[in-house]
Amino acid sequence: MGRVIVVTSGKGGVGKTTSTANLGTALALLDKTVAVVDADVGLRNLDIVMGLESRIVYTSMDVIEKQCELSKALVRDRRVDGLMLLAASQKNNKDDIQPEQMKAICDKLRTTHDFVLIDSPAGIERGFSNASAGADEAIVVTTPDVSAIRDADRIIGLLQNARIEPINLVINRFSPQLVGNGSMMDQDDVLDILNIELIGVVPEDSGVINSTNRGIPLVYEDGSPGAQAYMRIARRLTGQRIPIHNFEQKGLLNNIVNWFTRKR
Amino acid sequence: MNISIRQLFGRKPKSSSIAKQRLKLVITQDRFDVDDRVMTRLHHELAEVLAKYFEFSANSVKMDLKQEGNSYILVADFPYTKFHETNMRQ
Repeated sequence: MGRVIVVTSGKGGVGKTTSTANLGTALALLDKTVAVVDADVGLRNLDIVMGLESRIVYTSMDVIEKQCELSKALVRDRRVDGLMLLAASQKNNKDDIQPEQMKAICDKLRTTHDFVLIDSPAGIERGFSNASAGADEAIVVTTPDVSAIRDADRIIGLLQNARIEPINLVINRFSPQLVGNGSMMDQDDVLDILNIELIGVVPEDSGVINSTNRGIPLVYEDGSPGAQAYMRIARRLTGQRIPIHNFEQKGLLNNIVNWFTRKR
Repeated sequence: MNISIRQLFGRKPKSSSIAKQRLKLVITQDRFDVDDRVMTRLHHELAEVLAKYFEFSANSVKMDLKQEGNSYILVADFPYTKFHETNMRQ
């Protein structure tokens, strides 16, 4: 039986879809069978971020309305073995799907895949309850800023109430330089506030925008710091013990640079 | 302490530590801010349970949340007029 993991955040624009695309691809590159599910009905984007937008024929809505079989609605990613996408309907809205219907889809997918990753919409309303209905675990994505962290805390409370665990944290768009000069909270600060398990830190990486433009998840062209971070998270998800990478720039030279660039 | 020494040398505290302080405050509030409807429901449920053991008038009941440092305390006053002794045996 596969694991169903909801990727969520509360606040929009922190990198849920990018994280789902990269973690799904990374897990497939690690020889796992993976289904990524877009739960953002009406505002779907996982298909375009993964570069599969031109191949979508059916969506989860068609499966729910019994217009087609689940297996037929899955789009195979031809670049790697074992990776499938289930797209969300773009012409419906979140209220057209019931949590039980999403759960039924997840329960079916877990019989054929090692991992089912669900890309949750932003917010704490119906879209979130649909996305988390079939999940056993959660990955909460946040950026190190006050609004994203506050919203993450709210989502963590809701996930705990729904008895979804473990809840793992991904800190996205981390800038070692900003942490160095004191304008960004570091990972210890974030963990001190949110108090959940950290599964990875993804550094700010200009490669992300290029990869989204092209529809090629970062992890396909590994080497960039962002790609490496996602690969490490995927490995941790499979149970490998990999210490959290320390991005903070230390050493005399950096201290001198930070001293000159600090805010006064 | 750390901040006051820095200020002595004319340095502003780092904005990241201000962010952390503000977040901690607001999140404690968010976590403990109980919805009025939930409070009303809790009130009814508590009264239901306590009515098995005590006699009290509904309008004498007071429920409140008080903040003490980092934690919140739920204070409920149920002034009762009589204890139902029959419920002692069971």
